[in-house]
Amino acid sequence: MNKYDRITPEGTRDSLFAECTLRRDIESRLHALFSARGYSEIITPTLEFYDVFNRKAQPFPQEQMYKLTDAKGRLLVLRPDNTVPIARVCATRLRESTLPLRLYYNQSIHVISPSLKGRDDEITQAGIELIGSDSRMADLEVIAAAVDALRSFDPNYQLELGNAALFRVLMQQLPASETAKEQLRDCIESKNFPALGDLLDTLPDSPAAKALRILPRLFGGEEVFAKAAKYSTGDAFTAILNDLHALWKSVAEFAGKDRVSVDLSMMHRTDYYTGMILRGYLSGYGEEILSGGRYDNLLAEFGYDVPATGFAVNVDAVTKVLSKRQDAPSGTLPPSNVLIWAAEGCEAAAVEAATNMRAKGLVVEHSLSATLAEARAYAEAHGIDTVLPIEKTTEGA
Amino acid sequence: MTRPLRIALTKGRLEKDTVGMLEQLGYDCTQVREKGRRLILPIGDGSIECVLAKANDVITYVEHGVCDLGVVGKDTILEMQGKFYELLDLGFGRCKFALAVKKGTDFYSGYGVKTIASKYPNVTRRFFEAKGMDVDIVKIEGSVELAPLLELSDGIVDIVETGTTLKENGLEVYEDVCPISARLIANSVSMKLRQSEIETLVTKIERYFENKEET
Repeated sequence: MNKYDRITPEGTRDSLFAECTLRRDIESRLHALFSARGYSEIITPTLEFYDVFNRKAQPFPQEQMYKLTDAKGRLLVLRPDNTVPIARVCATRLRESTLPLRLYYNQSIHVISPSLKGRDDEITQAGIELIGSDSRMADLEVIAAAVDALRSFDPNYQLELGNAALFRVLMQQLPASETAKEQLRDCIESKNFPALGDLLDTLPDSPAAKALRILPRLFGGEEVFAKAAKYSTGDAFTAILNDLHALWKSVAEFAGKDRVSVDLSMMHRTDYYTGMILRGYLSGYGEEILSGGRYDNLLAEFGYDVPATGFAVNVDAVTKVLSKRQDAPSGTLPPSNVLIWAAEGCEAAAVEAATNMRAKGLVVEHSLSATLAEARAYAEAHGIDTVLPIEKTTEGA
Repeated sequence: MTRPLRIALTKGRLEKDTVGMLEQLGYDCTQVREKGRRLILPIGDGSIECVLAKANDVITYVEHGVCDLGVVGKDTILEMQGKFYELLDLGFGRCKFALAVKKGTDFYSGYGVKTIASKYPNVTRRFFEAKGMDVDIVKIEGSVELAPLLELSDGIVDIVETGTTLKENGLEVYEDVCPISARLIANSVSMKLRQSEIETLVTKIERYFENKEET
């Protein structure tokens, strides 16, 4: 029988030294950025009941969740998402708290990825959730935090805005079967122009069909809004478009026009978004490294009907991108300042001396060599400048 | 500073058709035609480079964003799936997926669970799933036509172009699964970060097809 005791499961890995340093650095940058905005950290369990993620909108395909059972045979999953558990906490333990709630998290999610595609099954996400406001300022606050996060990674980031409601409105207006609508969603999400065209050709002509045909092409800079306006299907469409345009203008004002784009057909893999949605990109990574948006109906599914908005950064992806940069931290620690060697019987004195020196800010290493000569050789080989021997004679002085 | 727009081509016929199309569009593809054993080759003034890969790998490279664009058959897309944009139907490499059986067989008769041999187990599974039909699928790597002849399977799901191979082996198309042709795919982040370069190329290709249709 094969014994898998020397490898990690597919999609997981050990992080060593430089990678850890960089990752912790990214995490602490985000932590500082979020807490400076009044966000408090919460930690939810890695294990949750399957039911938590088995939402009406079904955003989590069961074949992508790691499942196990508890002692009573109930189905558990390794958390595949951070927003849903936070919604659960808000609707229960934080229900009586004054709104808005500003929450921040930094924890992993687990998804079963297709085999042999080089994808991670364990991803660390750091993100914020702003619970209890449907104001434009709430969305703007979240976007501004995203901009600052992206900017701290790379000044050449790209932030992209969209609105999940736009597609919903068009879908409601479109005279088509549910199956056809589902297929349409796939086509638009994958910007599959040939299939989208074929599919729409089978449907009766309508303003919504015309708009859907052009929707996946409506991405880029501010010019998109004028183009999209021509395909408006009515007040609801126009209202969403104008809102998004206003939001875009505000963001462009503090982030710069070049940094913020728009994609009217943007859709997230998870289905709980209801309004503004956003994504962040860094060059050198083939997927978004930041994603989020407004989800006004999710908490209601837990019996607490309040609006919410937020985003998450894929910390692993950012680590990957930044580790390829020239200023990435190196894998090795600088040498210790002092190597302290103790003669037999002086070990306790050496520990004490080391503690005193560390209090002064020095990095002090204990020598594990039997003789002082060996300790000196070790110090030379490892670039440690000072060797401090602790012997009876020095102690007795 | 930025690297050239990188396009992954499926080696073989799709590569030749794509190169032909790019030359019609005015891109100099001499380096690709005289590639020798090289796998990454500049096109035109060097603002585009092409990578030659097997069909499945084209999708992998594009999905990971190490190639921005790719030319690959719809057959591979259907089998592999994945997250990328499918921008254009390039029109060439046209054929279809079909269910084929021994000549004269009534495939749907009887109660027994059918066995299907295919190089494309995912396509096969989805086709029969949509019919609500349980089938046993056997993955075959080489000539799938052998499986029904050796009575390993009741039918095959495979790519059919002219149907000559089927005919010569006493098989016939029983039912079409779906049409296939070459597609231009794009990495979703490249599409955003290199929008103008990609759109310029896509527009050129679209215009090329429009002109072709008119003539």
